[in-house]
This record gives sequence, structure tokens and C-alpha cells, in this order.
Amino acid sequence: MSVSVREALGAFKPAAIAVGIALAAYIAGWVAYEVFFPGTAPVQPIEFSHVIHAGDYQIDCQYCHIYAARSTTAGVPAVEKCMGCHKVIATDKPEIQKLTDYWNSRQAIPWIKVHDLADFVYFPHKRHVQAEVACQTCHGEVQTMARIERVAPLSMKWCVGCHEEREVENGRDCWTCHK
Amino acid sequence: MARKKNPGSKLSRREFLALVGTGTSVMAGAGFLTAKFSRRPVEQLIPYVVPPEDYIPGVAAYYNTVCNLCPAGCGITVRIREGRAKKIEGNPAHPVSQGGTCALGQSGLQVLYNPDRLQTPVTRRGERGTGDFHTVGWNSALTTVASHLDKLRLANRGAGVGLLTGDIRGHLDDLLIQFLGLMGSGRYLQYAFTNPTNLYSANAASFDTAQLPYYDIANSDFLLSFGADFLGMWVSPVSYSRAYGDFRQGRREGEDKGPRRQRGQLVQIEPRMSLTGANADIWVPAVPGTEGALALGIAHIIAGGAGRFAAALAEFDPPRVAEISGVEASTIERLARSFGDAKAPLAIGGGGAAAGTNGVPNLVAINLLNHLAGNIGREGGVVFNPKPAFGRTGMQRHGSYLDLLAFVEEIADVDDGVLIIAGTNPLYDFPGDERLVRALQRIPLVVGLSSFMDETMQYADIVLPVNSYLEGWGDDAPEPGVGMRVASISQPVVAPLYDTMDVGDVFIRLAQRMDRDMQRAMPWPDFHAYLRNAWRRMYDKRRDKLDYVDFDAFWTAVLEAGVWGETRRASQRNEFHAQVDYEPPVHAGNDVDYPWYFQPFVSQGFFDGRGANLPWQQELPDPMTSIVYGSWIELNPRTANELGVDEGDILEVSSPAGSLRAPVWITQGIRPDTVAMPIGQGHTSFGRYATGRGANPLSILSAQVDSRTGAFAWGATRVNLTPTGERIRFVKTGGWSRTLDRQILGPRSGETQEGGDHG
Ligand code: SF4
Repeated sequence: MSVSVREALGAFKPAAIAVGIALAAYIAGWVAYEVFFPGTAPVQPIEFSHVIHAGDYQIDCQYCHIYAARSTTAGVPAVEKCMGCHKVIATDKPEIQKLTDYWNSRQAIPWIKVHDLADFVYFPHKRHVQAEVACQTCHGEVQTMARIERVAPLSMKWCVGCHEEREVENGRDCWTCHK
Repeated sequence: MARKKNPGSKLSRREFLALVGTGTSVMAGAGFLTAKFSRRPVEQLIPYVVPPEDYIPGVAAYYNTVCNLCPAGCGITVRIREGRAKKIEGNPAHPVSQGGTCALGQSGLQVLYNPDRLQTPVTRRGERGTGDFHTVGWNSALTTVASHLDKLRLANRGAGVGLLTGDIRGHLDDLLIQFLGLMGSGRYLQYAFTNPTNLYSANAASFDTAQLPYYDIANSDFLLSFGADFLGMWVSPVSYSRAYGDFRQGRREGEDKGPRRQRGQLVQIEPRMSLTGANADIWVPAVPGTEGALALGIAHIIAGGAGRFAAALAEFDPPRVAEISGVEASTIERLARSFGDAKAPLAIGGGGAAAGTNGVPNLVAINLLNHLAGNIGREGGVVFNPKPAFGRTGMQRHGSYLDLLAFVEEIADVDDGVLIIAGTNPLYDFPGDERLVRALQRIPLVVGLSSFMDETMQYADIVLPVNSYLEGWGDDAPEPGVGMRVASISQPVVAPLYDTMDVGDVFIRLAQRMDRDMQRAMPWPDFHAYLRNAWRRMYDKRRDKLDYVDFDAFWTAVLEAGVWGETRRASQRNEFHAQVDYEPPVHAGNDVDYPWYFQPFVSQGFFDGRGANLPWQQELPDPMTSIVYGSWIELNPRTANELGVDEGDILEVSSPAGSLRAPVWITQGIRPDTVAMPIGQGHTSFGRYATGRGANPLSILSAQVDSRTGAFAWGATRVNLTPTGERIRFVKTGGWSRTLDRQILGPRSGETQEGGDHG
């Protein structure tokens, strides 16, 4: 006795089609989210533009991110730092007025994190700055970004790739980044 | 397709499309949402509003200060990140700790971050002792106390104000004396049952010094320790543990290289094997309290019938001493030979040997051994400490058990007495405390200064929350020190977490709320200013010898280094002034109704009980039994057999003063006629981690005291044991303590331990 595969399948045909459509729909939904909401350039509480600061005025990165050469964290400028200039500069702009409101009420600006590493990764900014890795290597051409955007994948493969290329001492050692 | 009669089996076209449509959009939505929620949640990047001035986020800073969890006064280094204390280590530059801490010292962070810390002042609402308090502001609390004190002072009745503290040294001690002096009162007593009152007294009698000497274990080559658990918590455990390392390696103190001499030999004489006993080459379990006789027996053999002490020693021949101490005559002879032949022998006494009714005579007898060995004031012997850089010695500060009782009762007897209690907890560690409680009840105003609502604070009317030692200012000239003149400043390594104050600040604030004379006499804005002033005076006196541009430079340098002092050791002649005699120990309870000697011992984790509210200390396996969390009573296997009990069986332990229940731990490291219990558990009020856990052996001790000093004799009570039929399983990390001839460690060589095959 023989069973025709085609016939057997035929019995399930409607079901198979249904599953296929469902799967396609599911994937489409997923992709749609990734495409329309990539999350790599979230809207920030203040439309801060690196184009103006780092691009036009060529302010050094470490003028604001003051801890980068000395600490694991680069440091988001304190509100007081922003006000150091914006007490007098561009005070008529609505975004600067938002800043002034934060300052007057002694509130921190709740920036959205763009470059987020998992908690089990030890990433010291100072080592990279001291090794003269340009900020742009990981953060992209910041000076051209009106809204900050993540361009690097920040994946382990990507990190180790660079470590290998630059022949970093112990750059492939697990313990270097996972302490 | 035509519609058929059977509607259940086929869908209409419309229905089909609707279904496909809904399904597709549901699935697409699901995909969309899965993608959304599988992404790491959006995090915020919160900047400072105003950047911190004194640290860089992400970079640790290290501050030196002083550990004050026990009287040793180790220098510590605390790692701070973003203004928070993260880790405590020993300060390598501090001569007492030399980079080390004990387990309790490590747990200092849990004093700081303890969830049961008192965060605001409170005043009593219910009856004394019920723990019914409500919070008040600092202002009202201080004003209440100050106006009370002011009234008494202006009426010339300030003499009824008393201050009871634990072990306060340095310039804070001076400030407190000054405050009381202004009140017209000299009532100031420091009491903690672990204060080595007998050791002070014995050394005063022997060598005419009010200070503790430094026992130079590192450079000795034969150490005869009578009950001094110096690797546990005796006097200055970190310093002595370090010295013990040098002693065992045959190195000169603190040197890594250089010629080795012979490895030092350690003999530990004690009825219950302590951590030090377990490290000894020979462990000699003598009858509790007879250590003095043993010392005199050894002295008898060494002196050989000659010399100044011949007459006093005549009757201490080995057979007689063997009878008293339960140590075989041949062992006594062997110990005497080894001690006499060693190049740098050293005898020390503490623990149970100092905690009988005959503590002082025992310790004097032990000192005699040092005199006969000619090691007083010599390297590898008893090194005297130079006069401290500032402050009174413990001998001048500490009161005994009897002193405390008299002190509190006297205050109760005056009208309008006020008792201020800071940093001591007698209602936990003071047996016969009904008398103390009765006296406390009669005192109209009891003010407590504390970080925790402990047993004693329950009886206060007002409790003022003080800074933990990591948040406040202070200074310290450690005692016994290490034979050098050393001083340290204790600085706040973090800002106070709560609304708390330094003890010194409380008194300065009180004075500021009192009348003009008080204000003028105590003009400092805060304790920090007082401390700086005091150090400025010290600096001015030594200005020529010190190599700093000005006082500020000096102050900063001491703060940075965490210690200041001289590295020269004083030398001293080999003098010995005391009369020696043996006084038999007296134990409460007769040996028929109470057949066993009861030896509570200071535990490594909790010290005198103050560490019991620190979870790390609760989790710390006891070094001898590996038990965590609970209490236990140590029994010799023979005792256990006699009672028919096994590990974990709960015994009722009763003494003439009371009874408690504790599970059995069987060990060969104890005499069959002795049982032992760790001190530290069994708190009735000491925060969530300590309260109601285990049993407090001090609570069933009779109020026995040393015959000379009146110090609490906590090794002088006998007990009876009754099985209850109940049992528990110990929480412990260790397994079986015997090798059962499996030769795990290979064949034994060299020394053997007497008294069993423990280990
Ligand atoms: S020995 Fe005493 S002072 Fe030293 S670290 Fe331990 S608790 Fe602190």
C-alpha cells in the first residue's frame, strides 16, 4: 500500500497555507517595528544638536564629556555646564528655554540612552581615549548628527574585531571586558 | 464555490477572508510587539544638575581612617565611589593593621548601611524597657536635654550627671571630661566587659605601668599563651595575627628576606580549644582558672630554687601543680624546659585565664615567667609602649563590673540624676542586670547616644542617633599599639546617610543651648573644629621637630596617610615589682548540682556581641565548628556519652543564676569537665538580624568578680546540663572533623597535639 505524499499534504493544505500566512505576517510585523522604530536615534527631551556644537563650533568632545579620559564613564555634561554658556547664548531659542526651565527647577534632563551596553560588559572610556581611538570610531560622525544616532552595532563581534585589528594586548581575553 | 447545506464544515468566502484578515493582522501585531518588547528597555542617561566637586564618577577614591569596631584601633582604607563606601581594607601604612583587618572590620560597611540604624532622635512614649518610642526633631530633643542639664547646673546640682561609655579614646574623651567638668561632675565611666581591666591591673602591679605592653610575638621563638586567643579577638588580633606569621616563619618582624631563625613554637594552655589553640604545636587543657598555678609551676622549675622568688615558688613543685591544674607533671616539666631553653621565650595571658575570680594573680604569675626569662623590655619579649601621643590609657578610663554597678546606683540615689549612655550595652553583657535595671528605673532622665536600639537603649528616655564611625570625625592613639608612639585621625569617608551627629557634636550642641558660661567654655562650631584645635596644639608643641610648612600641611598629611607617629621602640629595664601568689579560682555553683565548668568565649564574628546585627558576621562560619547563625554548646565526647546526647541535641544549661537552651556540639578540643559557649548571640533587641537568634551565655552567669579589680569574672560559673529531647540540625559549612585514619594529610611528622586526635 502506498501513500501519496502529495495527497497527504493536500489534506493539510489549508492549514499549511494558514501557518505560512501567519508566519509571514509575524515576520512582517517584526521587520516593520525594526524599520519604523529602529530606536537608534530616539527623540530626546531637548533637541540638542551635535552639528552646532561639535560641527559648526568645533567644541572639543571632552569639553563637555569631561570624564572620558579619566573614568570608565565619559560623563554627560551637567546641566550647570550647559548653562555656563546658555545663560547668555541663544537664550531666545525654545529649546534653550526648555534647558533653562530644567536648570531653574534644578532638574536633571532625562536624556534617552543611545549607546547602551549590556551590564555585563566592562567598557572603560579612558582606555580607549588614552589609546587615541577617535570618538567617531564607536559613536559615528557625531559632528554631523542633528539628533544623536547609534551607527555601530556595539556587538561583541564588532568590539573584538577592532581589538584584533589594532592588536590590543589581551584584546581577546574574556576577562578584559567581562570582569 | 457554491454554498453547501452543511454550514459547519465550510466557510463562506466572506467569512474566510475575514478570518484570514484578522489572523494576519493579529500575527503581524504579535510580531511587532515581540520585537518591541524583546528589545532592551530604553534607559535614561541622567546627568548631574551640578557636577560633584570632590570625585570623578566611575573612579574610586580611597580614604584612610580608623576602625573602631573593637579597641584595637586598626587603620583602615575605605574605597569610595560616587560618594558611597564600597569596601574596607587595612591601611598598609598603619603599624597596627599593616594592611589587614579582621572579619568584623570587613563588615563595617554593614554598620554604615544597616537597615536598623536609628535615623532620627526618638523619645520614649511607653514604659521603660518596652521599646515604645516616637520620633522627634533634633532641636526639640537637644533642647529638652540641655534645659534639664542647665537647670541642674545653675542649681549647683550638676554632680548628679553621669556619663557611661564603652571605650572612648583620643580627644573625644577630653571633650567629654571637659563637658562633665563644666557640669561640676566627675562621674564618667567606661565599661565593656571585654575591656582588659585585669590585664591593666596585673601589668601595673608587675611593671608599674598604666599601659598595656606590646607582646613582641614576631621576634619571639617560644610562645606560651595562657588562654590568650590572639588569633581570634584578643586585644589586638590583626596586629598579633600578623606577628604570628613572622613568628612561625622564623623571620624578623616585617622582613620578607634575610636570615631565617628557627620557626617559633606555640603552646596554648586553655580548657577549650580556641582558634589559637588549634594553631598551637601543643594544646594543654588545664582546669579553668588554674593557669596561675601552672605558670608558677613552670617558674618553679626554671628558677630552680634560687633567686628572689624561691620562697614564693617553693610549694609549686610539679606534682602539686599537676594536682591543681590537671596537667601531667611530665608535661609541666617539658614546658618549663622548652621555655627555659628558648632564646626568646614569651608568656602571655588572657581569655579564660584572666576571666576568673583570680584573673590578676594569674596574670601576675604569667608575667613572672617573662621576668625570669629576662625578656621584659627586650625584642621578642614584653615591649613597653611609650606614653601615648594624647589621651588617657585604658587603665585610667575603664571601670570594672563593681564600679559600674556603684556608678549607676549612685546616680539613682541623687535627686534629679541624669545618665548619658554612649557606645556600650551593659544590659546585654552584664549579668545580675536586674540590679542595674532597678537602678536605671530610678534615674529620672536617661539619655542614649547610639546607632542602634539595643538592649540598653530600650531603657533610655531619649535616644540620639549618632554617626557611624565611617561618617564622623575622631582620633585615636591605639592601645596597646605596637611599642611605638602612633596616632591616627578618623575622618568621615562618606557624608552621613541619615540625620545623625558625632558624639562630640551632640555635647557641643548641648553646651550651645545652655547658659552663657557653658557656651563660652565650649565655643567650637563643631567637633571637627575642636579636633583640629587639639591637633594644632600638638603640632605647635612639636613644630620644630616636624617637617611641614604649616599646620594645614601637617593635618592634611596625617589625614592622607591615616596615621602619624614614630617608628622607634622604647627600651626598658627588666623590672618586676609584684608579689606572686596563687589564688584558687572560685566558681559559682557547687560541683554536685553544677558538675561542669562553664566557659563562654568571645566569638570571632561578634566580638562581645556588637557584631551580631551584621549579616556578614552571622554568615561567617565559626572557625572551630563552621557553624553559622546559631548558638551551640561545646561538649567533650565523654560528656556527650554520659548525657546520652549527640550533635544537635538541645540541652537545658542551668547555672545558679539562670538557664538557657543550646544545641550540642561535640568536640575533643575541650576538657570533659568543661563546657563552652560562644558569646554574641541571644540579643533581645538589636535589629532584625540579631534579635531572637541563639542564646546569650552571659545571661546565665553569676555575678562573679575578680577579687582584686572587681572586674566581671565571666569564666567563673558552673552549670548543669539536662537533655530536653529536642534537637536541631546545625547550619554549618564543615563536614566530619576526623580523618578516621584515612591519611588525608599523609603521615604525621613532628609535633603532635595532646588531648586527642582533633583535626
Ligand atoms: S581588630 Fe578591631 S579595630 Fe582591627 S579591624 Fe578588627 S574590629 Fe577593627
